[in-house]
Amino acid sequence: MARVPLRPANLAWLAAGSVVLAYGLGALAVARGPGELTTYAGRSDLAAALAVVAGLALVAAGLVMSFARPAGRIGDLALLAGVVWFAPFWAGWQGGPPLVLSLGTLAAGFVFPLLLQLVLAYPTGRLRSVGVRALVVAVYVEACLSALGRALFRDPFFDPNCWDNCTDNVFLVRSLPRVARGIQDVDLWFTAAAAGALAAVCVWRIATASGPARRTLSPVLAGGIALAAATIAHSVALERTPLEDPSDAPFLSIFAVGCAAVMVIALGLPWALLRARVQRRSVARIAAELGETPPPGLLESALAGAIGDAELRIAYWLPASRRYVDARGRLLEEPVAAAGRAVTALVRDGRRVALVTHTAAVTDLEREIGAAVRLALENERLQAQVLAQLHDLRQSRMRIVETGDAERRRLERDLHDGAQQSLLALSYDLRLARTGAEAEGDAETVALLTEATDDAQAALGELRELAHGIHPAILTEAGLAPALATLADAAPLAVDIGETAAERYSAPVETAAYLVVAEAIDDAARRGASYAVVGAPVDREFLVVEVEDDGSERTSTMIHLADRVGAIGGRLEIEPTTLRAEIPCA
Amino acid sequence: MRVVVADDVMLTRQGIVRLLRDAGFDVVAEAEDAEGLLRHVRLARPDAAVVDIRMPPTHTDEGLVAAQTIRTEHPAVGVLVLSQYVEPSYAMRLIQEHPERVGYLLKERVFDVAILVDALRRIAEGETVIDPTIVSRLVGRRRRDDTLADLTEREREVLGLVAEGLSNKAIAGRLFITERTVEAHVKQIFLKLQLNTNPDSHRRVLAVLAYLRAGA
Repeated sequence: MARVPLRPANLAWLAAGSVVLAYGLGALAVARGPGELTTYAGRSDLAAALAVVAGLALVAAGLVMSFARPAGRIGDLALLAGVVWFAPFWAGWQGGPPLVLSLGTLAAGFVFPLLLQLVLAYPTGRLRSVGVRALVVAVYVEACLSALGRALFRDPFFDPNCWDNCTDNVFLVRSLPRVARGIQDVDLWFTAAAAGALAAVCVWRIATASGPARRTLSPVLAGGIALAAATIAHSVALERTPLEDPSDAPFLSIFAVGCAAVMVIALGLPWALLRARVQRRSVARIAAELGETPPPGLLESALAGAIGDAELRIAYWLPASRRYVDARGRLLEEPVAAAGRAVTALVRDGRRVALVTHTAAVTDLEREIGAAVRLALENERLQAQVLAQLHDLRQSRMRIVETGDAERRRLERDLHDGAQQSLLALSYDLRLARTGAEAEGDAETVALLTEATDDAQAALGELRELAHGIHPAILTEAGLAPALATLADAAPLAVDIGETAAERYSAPVETAAYLVVAEAIDDAARRGASYAVVGAPVDREFLVVEVEDDGSERTSTMIHLADRVGAIGGRLEIEPTTLRAEIPCA
Repeated sequence: MRVVVADDVMLTRQGIVRLLRDAGFDVVAEAEDAEGLLRHVRLARPDAAVVDIRMPPTHTDEGLVAAQTIRTEHPAVGVLVLSQYVEPSYAMRLIQEHPERVGYLLKERVFDVAILVDALRRIAEGETVIDPTIVSRLVGRRRRDDTLADLTEREREVLGLVAEGLSNKAIAGRLFITERTVEAHVKQIFLKLQLNTNPDSHRRVLAVLAYLRAGA
């Protein structure tokens, strides 16, 4: 943890802390002495211990929060709540200065509003939703009106239900006991209703928070629910027994629960801070744990583990191609913050490295990530860039192959639709001409035209073979097995087609498999083989094509074929008399 | 003999029609796609249809599919498929279900009127017609264990003609021998090649083609 520098502001807070401590201990002294019968702390040792610990815990939490986050209002609020918490002690000071008693009585009415705001404004210090803001404002307005009414019209001396301060009200203008009683009743039930609303908001927040945010919020919200329960119970108890008696078991229990709730809230406040500190350390440790060459994606899961957010995602920025990719180089959409999620841009040497999408419960990820992790991020970004380029290259290779294949298919069709039709027309005309010549008995012309007709036939035959060589139509129309059978029919050596996948695959897969066999057979023939055995079974997600022959040892590197198979992500194994291609077909 | 002609290329279609008319055939309808062909066959009830294998829309095997449909729905109508491809698979697919009254000829032969007329006549008589180029390629296929070597020269000749779909009578006529002799040759061939199919049935063409294609 960073050492807190002793700035003047911090010194002021330290001084304030000392004053508040003295004030709290003074309150305890009052309760144990002159307030022995008129305060909970005076009537019970347990209540005294709980009340003082709760109050001081609030003060301490306030001071800690103020140190950690000078801008946060939560600390100030907790400190103020801690101070006001001791007001009832002072109100019960039998024989104490009238002003102290009067102020204590009035201030006691603000304990609940302050605690309510504290719980609802946690952890940011701001009240984000309109409904919650309205609730807090209403509670304060009511508390002020109630305090004003009681200050002006309640003479404690004439209050039959008075128990702590039954002597002094220095602000009294006119004693109106019935008005005062009415104000007390309204205050009682309004407070109970506000407590109900507080409990509801706390439950709703716990229910709707995402995992990491819930872990951060839970202690304070749980304290808030307990506080609300104690407040409602207090109102109900007062309705049954209008005279509050600190020695009465139900009242004492309610008071104890209230103190415990405040303690939970007070301890919960720095909890988020502590979690953030722990996170920061584990985030800082990531770099060391990753090692020198972490596999892609490990940084993301390590960071996710460190801040306890399994949904955390890192999108690396590739400036050259202006896009985001994941650690494996796969294209990502530009991350945007959704409900409960935040997007933090991570920068190194002024350049954007990545955007991290994470839980909104972590408010300053940018600050938590240290230099070492930043370096690891930069490394992974570079790795992602290389992988993305590799992916682009693969796609490009694939496209080149597919374009070439499509071109060959088009050429094959064009030969049939164009040249072949022209030759057919020519051959038809030649036959007509020959029939004409025969009718005229021109033997020389007939002989000439017969020869021409034969030439046209031969040309048609050659054209057909040429088209088949450019692209076998049967491969596209009927698949690999029939195409290989045709290959075997015309091969210059015996070709035994063994087990062949009967299913259809994508055109690039079928074409690559066909070309492997065709090339292998040609190569076998060149090496004097008398036969070749071809198998093309499917092995899970691969179409495996194997051609074995009895020729002499291979000298060709079959590099075109290896390129061809590699272009669609396959692998070609070249052995002296065996060729084996594994082509992914899933 | 009443004939329907289907080919999407007008020049070729008109050429075929004119040749057939000159040879005394009655061309009752012309179609430029499979749909039109099937309609004309249904309405005109011809004796045979001459069908180009490549027709719209995909220009792949529409003609073959249409031929199979005609053979199934109108068993009395013979079909002659004209193809650009020396593909035994296509020919075998054609005669698989209905081994009679069908033919598979390479397109380049279509303007040789003698071949065209002979093929249509054989189809009308219930025979099968397989292009000699396909048969000679299959007979000439390289084999590691050449079972065809056990056949005599004449038997190989007869085997090829059987594969082309000729009847015993036609083979006898072609080779200038008696039909009885052809029968004896065929029986001997089937015995030597261990073919179980009845040597007198229409199925024998498919059996011989499959045999020639199997193994190496």
